[in-house]
Formats: sequence, structure tokens, C-alpha cells
Amino acid sequence: MKASGTIEAPNAFGVLARANLLQVWRRILAIRSQSRLLTSLIGVFIIGYWVLSFLLFQKALKFAGAFPGLGTLLIERMIYLLFAFLFALLLISNLLIGYTNLFRNRETAHLLCLPVSPQTIYRWKFMESTLLASWAFLFLVIPLLAAFGIEQGAGPGFYIVTTLAIFLFIVLPAVAGSAGAILIARFLDRRLFQVLTVGIAIALIGGIAIGMKPDEVTDQMLETRVLVVLDRLLANTRLALFPFLPSYWLSSGVLQWAEGARSAAGFFLGVLVSYVLFFGTLAFTRFGVPFYEAASAVRSRSSVLGRWKFLQRGLLRNRGPSYRRGPIEGIVGWFFWLPSDVRSVLVKDIRIFWRDTTQWGQSLMLFGLLGVYILNLRHFSSQLNNPFWIHLVSYLNLGACSLNLATLTTRFVYPQFSLEGKRLWIVGMAPLGLTRVVRAKYWLGTVTSLGITVGLVSLSSYMLKMPPTRIAFFAFVIGVMTMTLNGLAMGLGTLYPNFKEDNPSKIVSGFGGTFCLVLSFLYIVFSVVILALGSPWRPTVQGPALATGLVWGLFLGVSFLLGWLPGRLGKRQLRGLEI
Amino acid sequence: MIELVGLKKSFGDLKAVNGIDLLVPKGEFFAVLGPNAAGKTTTIKMIAGLMKPSAGTIKVAGFNVQDEPLEARSRMAYVPDFPFLYDKLTAWEFIVFTGEIFRMGRSEIDSKGRELAERFHLQDFINKPIEGLSHGTRQRVAIVSALLHDPEVFVIDEPMVGLDPQHARIVKDVLKERTMTGMTVFLSTHQLSVAEEMADRIGIIHQGQLIAVGDREELRQLSGNDGALESAFLTLTSEDSQEVVAEPGASS
Repeated sequence: MKASGTIEAPNAFGVLARANLLQVWRRILAIRSQSRLLTSLIGVFIIGYWVLSFLLFQKALKFAGAFPGLGTLLIERMIYLLFAFLFALLLISNLLIGYTNLFRNRETAHLLCLPVSPQTIYRWKFMESTLLASWAFLFLVIPLLAAFGIEQGAGPGFYIVTTLAIFLFIVLPAVAGSAGAILIARFLDRRLFQVLTVGIAIALIGGIAIGMKPDEVTDQMLETRVLVVLDRLLANTRLALFPFLPSYWLSSGVLQWAEGARSAAGFFLGVLVSYVLFFGTLAFTRFGVPFYEAASAVRSRSSVLGRWKFLQRGLLRNRGPSYRRGPIEGIVGWFFWLPSDVRSVLVKDIRIFWRDTTQWGQSLMLFGLLGVYILNLRHFSSQLNNPFWIHLVSYLNLGACSLNLATLTTRFVYPQFSLEGKRLWIVGMAPLGLTRVVRAKYWLGTVTSLGITVGLVSLSSYMLKMPPTRIAFFAFVIGVMTMTLNGLAMGLGTLYPNFKEDNPSKIVSGFGGTFCLVLSFLYIVFSVVILALGSPWRPTVQGPALATGLVWGLFLGVSFLLGWLPGRLGKRQLRGLEI
Repeated sequence: MIELVGLKKSFGDLKAVNGIDLLVPKGEFFAVLGPNAAGKTTTIKMIAGLMKPSAGTIKVAGFNVQDEPLEARSRMAYVPDFPFLYDKLTAWEFIVFTGEIFRMGRSEIDSKGRELAERFHLQDFINKPIEGLSHGTRQRVAIVSALLHDPEVFVIDEPMVGLDPQHARIVKDVLKERTMTGMTVFLSTHQLSVAEEMADRIGIIHQGQLIAVGDREELRQLSGNDGALESAFLTLTSEDSQEVVAEPGASS
């Protein structure tokens, strides 16, 4: 394709930027005018997060720094590790967001029909994707670097240099992620590409599994050979010190500057600048044509597995009309006591969820990570002999599991009723009635999540070698919390419906969704704290203790109120619903 | 004008467009009809440059869409069946945005934009955010934006969706007037009445092939059916009718 700069409007990039920035500005104004409470809630949460994480980071840095003789080394390694992990996360985030923004975006398709060169479109979309993929990184590192700077007694220059270095740093994973997205889009249906990708993924997973194999550390070693243990720990984290990693240049620059070694810091920041300039220029001047080729390939593709002829033959064999009951219908059919219309709603919801891969992909990732963590508890459960730590870890596990659940109920259960809005011509007009539709959705969400949460919490308690009574206790608690969180999400979703949106994530980002998330988090923090303080198995350590009966009363009362009241109010609203 | 030569597009084993040759001369109103999944939208997307053909070439206003995309696009306007609009912009801001992208000066945008907005009865909505507009009004905003730069070629997919009869009439009138002054219209629709009323020539795409091209009378003759266009269309696209009845080249 010939690049043509003469036909394109001279300020096409500026026109694009202006239209999009105007859109963003109007969105911000809309949030503000929609609800002052929502704006305040978001503000309080941002400030609260920064303050809390600043204090935690400061405490952690103080704690590590106080380690005799090794404090500085430990802090340095923590910084290297943190930026290495954040680099990997940024890479994945840029890859996913870049792919969606470049190849699954309606604006991109619209722009490709206008006399705007693919290079200009790519430039704009690259900047947009970089911001979308990196804002959370900036949000995370601000309190950390502030705490580090204060702990090191760094002057104002440190904060200026660090800010500049971080803005430079985010360019590199953005270019790499964007290049990866273009490669995937262009060659995803090629068999060689698929085989290579799967091979690399297997090699990576295998490498991580072997490289990160946990070491057996006994109590005796911790008491007598602590330096050896520490040395092994540091040896396992050497990957973060690989000198060709951009995170290494950033970490070294930041650390050296904080220590006053300006020329060494200058060297690392210089390396960062030169790479950013090289790859940034490459992306800004050369990626337009491959982007256009990839965009066309994505639209021209029938199936990712289309080149595997044996699969196609299998599909062709099965092609043709089929009027048989599907497996989901079969499974839901086992619940014979449910009326057929309720079963029909359940089958529809399960099918929609299953076919929306992004939905279950996110759930799988969240709970998969939690599952991996819980399974790994076995590697250090030998160190968890102290009742205090067992107690603490078990309640932290309860908190982690319910926090994961809260994100899922807010993301998936909350928008369920709103999503039904545009289909109300069929569901709302049916004799089933909206109240029963809402109830069916609630029970579907609750039963599904109960299976996961009760399983995970029971497994974590088992890994901590707890007796059956305590396993049953935690299973019961997470069961109550699951019912409450689902009730809260479903109730608030019915109270604050948004029938205009088709996109669940946009429905969630409104007032009701934010309110649901905040209430869920507050409920979880409240429940875990009071249950831990009033636990009959609580080890005798300093701190306030609460009467077990009072705690149980409070927990069950608050759970019932939060799980039932929004649903009750929502039900009342349904009676007078006008669409 | 639009020139399609040996145009093919495959999705795996499926041949969505299978060798279309067509010449739509300057100032012609060409309507393309066809059953669902016949290959109409794929053809339109290739003309708009959204998809690359598997084989063949496309020229718009004399420029090859693949080799000189910007030259072709700057002379063309494309309105899909569900056009993308920036929801948070007002109708007027979107019109100005489109004009600027097509290198129009502000005074030209102002005069032509106002004239078109008035013609399409958009005055009451011009400063309202697009997100609050009805489907029909959004469609009118998209058409006004597309016509703003006086395209030589106008490609539109299902233009009447969501439009009330009054505004459908305006769209028809404006497009017809523009063809009088040399604009080529390539319209895809399922509404046979629109094609029958508006088009100078009608093409029927079936199973990826252009099976018939001609004016209403020629199509009736080709189908061997004396009834309305609907009868001719149904006869030509019936499963029994396997024979491709278009003249070779199907040129004007």
C-alpha cells in the first residue's frame, strides 16, 4: 500500500485527538452531573487507597530496611522485582488492550474508511491504548515511590526524575504489546504461528514451574541458617536483575538517584531514553502499514482454526440443521421441579455467559490465580505451625476469596437485569413476570458462585491442615457471604437499571455499580475483621477480643440486611417499572 | 465511478464474493440486491477499503482502492447500516469533525453543513449529544456528514433503516439530485421498492456472484417474469436458478 501524505488532512491527528478528548471531557462531566455521591465515593477511594498503600509501603520498607546488614539489599531487590512484575503486567495489558482497540473497535473501522492514513490512525490508537493499559500502573506506583523517596530522604529532584523515567518506561511495553497485537492479528490463523505460540507458552509455563520450584525451608534453617535461606531466596529472584530488562534500567536509575549516584542514574536513564526513542520512533513511523494489513486480515478471517483441514472436515460433517436439545438444556432439565419458563431463562443465561468468552475468561483468571495460590499453601504449610499465623492466613484467605467474589458479582450479577432491558419485549411480556426472572438470575448466580467459593475456602482450610469443624465453619461463612454478595448485586442492579447500554462493563461503571462494589468491599472488611476478632479459635495475643455470640449476631444480621433489603426495594420498583 | 474487476473474497473455504465484474459509471444510481449472506456487505466493505480482496481489483473515481487508498477514500463516502458516531459529541461537532478530516475549510464546513442540516431537518438536534438521538436522527447525521465533502462516489448500506417516510423521501431526493450533478451512488438494500424507484440499474448478487444486472425492464426479461421486481428477484435468486444470467463483464 502506498503511503500518501498529501491527501490526508494536514492536522488529521489533531482533529482525531480533539474529538476524542472532547468525548472524554464530556464523560467526566457526565459522571459529575450524574451523581455527586459517586464522584465523592471515587475521590474518597482514590485518596484512601493512596494513603493506605503509602503507609503500608512505608512500613514494609522500614521493616525490610531494619534487617541487620541486609536491609538495603532487600529493599533494592524488592524494587527490582516489583518493576519486573509490573513490566510483565504492562506487557500483557498492552497486548490485550492494544488488540481490542486496534482490531475490535468501531471507531477504528470508521476511521479506516476516511482519508486518514493508517499510520495516523495507528498513532492515535497506540496512544489511547497505552494510556488505557498503563493508568493502573501509574496509580499503583505513586504511593510506593513516594514512600521510598521519603524513606531514603530523597530531595525534590528524585520525584521529578522518577516521574519522567516512569513515563518513558511505559512506552516500551506499550510498543512491544502493540507489536504483539499486530502480529497476533495478522498471523493468528496461520498454523505455524499457532504451533509456535503454543510451544512458547508451554516452554514458558514449564520454565516458570521449574525455575520457581519452591525450596523446602524448615524452622531449624530459619533459626540457624538464615543467611543461607536468604541467599537462596535472592538467587531465585535474579531474573529481575537481567540487564536487558527495561525494568532493570528503571529500577537502577531510581535506586541510584535516591542514593545520590547521579552519573550512574544518568547512565541507566540514558539507556531507557535511547530505547524509548528508537522503538517509539519505529512505532510512530513504521507500524501503520502492518497495522492496516492486520486489520484487513482480521476482517477477512472466517475461523482461527480454518487452516486445520481435519478440524474443518469434522465441522463440515456436523454441519446441517439440528433441532436436538443441547447439553445445557439437558443439565437444567434435571431440575424438574422448576417451572419450564424459569428453566428456559436459566438455559438462556448460561448459554450467553458461556459463549461470551471474555466473561468466563476473566472469572477463570481471577479464581484460577486464587486456586494456584491456595494449592501453593502446601509448600509453606510446614512453617505454619504457629496458631497466630494459621488464624491470620485463614481469615486472609476468606477475605481474598470474598473480594474476588465481590468483583465478580459486581461485574456479572449486577448488570444482569439491565442487560435484560432490550430483551424485555420477550422476557418482560412473558407470563413468567420480572420478579421471577430476577429471582431465577439470583439463584443461578448464587448456586454457581457457591460451588466455587465454598470449594476454594474449604481447600485453603484443608491446605492449612485445619480440623473438619473449622473447615465447616469457613465453608458456612463463605456460603453466607456468597448469598449476601449475590443478593446485594442483584438487588442494586434492579434498583439502578440502565436499559440503554449493551456493554456490561459500562453498566457497572455507573452509580449503582460503583455503589455495589463499595458496599461489597465494606461488608467484606467488616465481616472478616469481626469474625477474626470474635473467633472461638483466636490465639491469645494482644488486641481487642469480641464475644463470639455478639459477632455471629452482627455478621448474620448485616449479611441478611445487605442481601435482602436491596432485593426487596428492587422488587417494589419492578411493580411500577416503566421502560 | 466504480470499477470492480474479477473481485473475489474468501473466508476460509467459503467464497463470499466469487468473481464480480462491474462498472458503475459516473452519475449512475446503482442498487445492489440479494438474499441474506449473498455477499453484498462484503463487496461494499471491499469498496470502502475495510477488507482486502482475495483477488481482483477495485477502482473508485479512477483510483485503485488497494494501491492508492487515500486518494480513493478522499473522493468517496461510505455509510454502513449501523454507522459509528462519537456518542459524546453533538451532531454539529461530528459534522465539523468529518469535514476537517476531509480537509475542508471551516467556512466551507459551516455553509455546506448548515445547508445539509436544514435539508435533513436536523436544526433542532444539531447541538444535542449524539447519544440522546433516535436511530433515525443518527442515521441522518451520518448521511449529512458523508455528503458534506461532495463525494464523487457514495456507498451506502441499507440507508432507509430507522428513517420515517418523510426523511426517507429527503434522502432519496438528495441522492437523486446528487447523481444529476455527477455523484455515483452504490446502494445496498433489501427494500426492493427503493431500488425500483431510485436506481438507474440494479444488480442482483447471489451466492457471491453478480447473477443479473440491468434496469427494471431488463431484469424482468432476464427472469422471464412479467410481474413486479419482487417476482423477478425471487425467480432469479431461487435455489433452482443456478444459472448465472448476467452478461459477461456486466459493464455499463
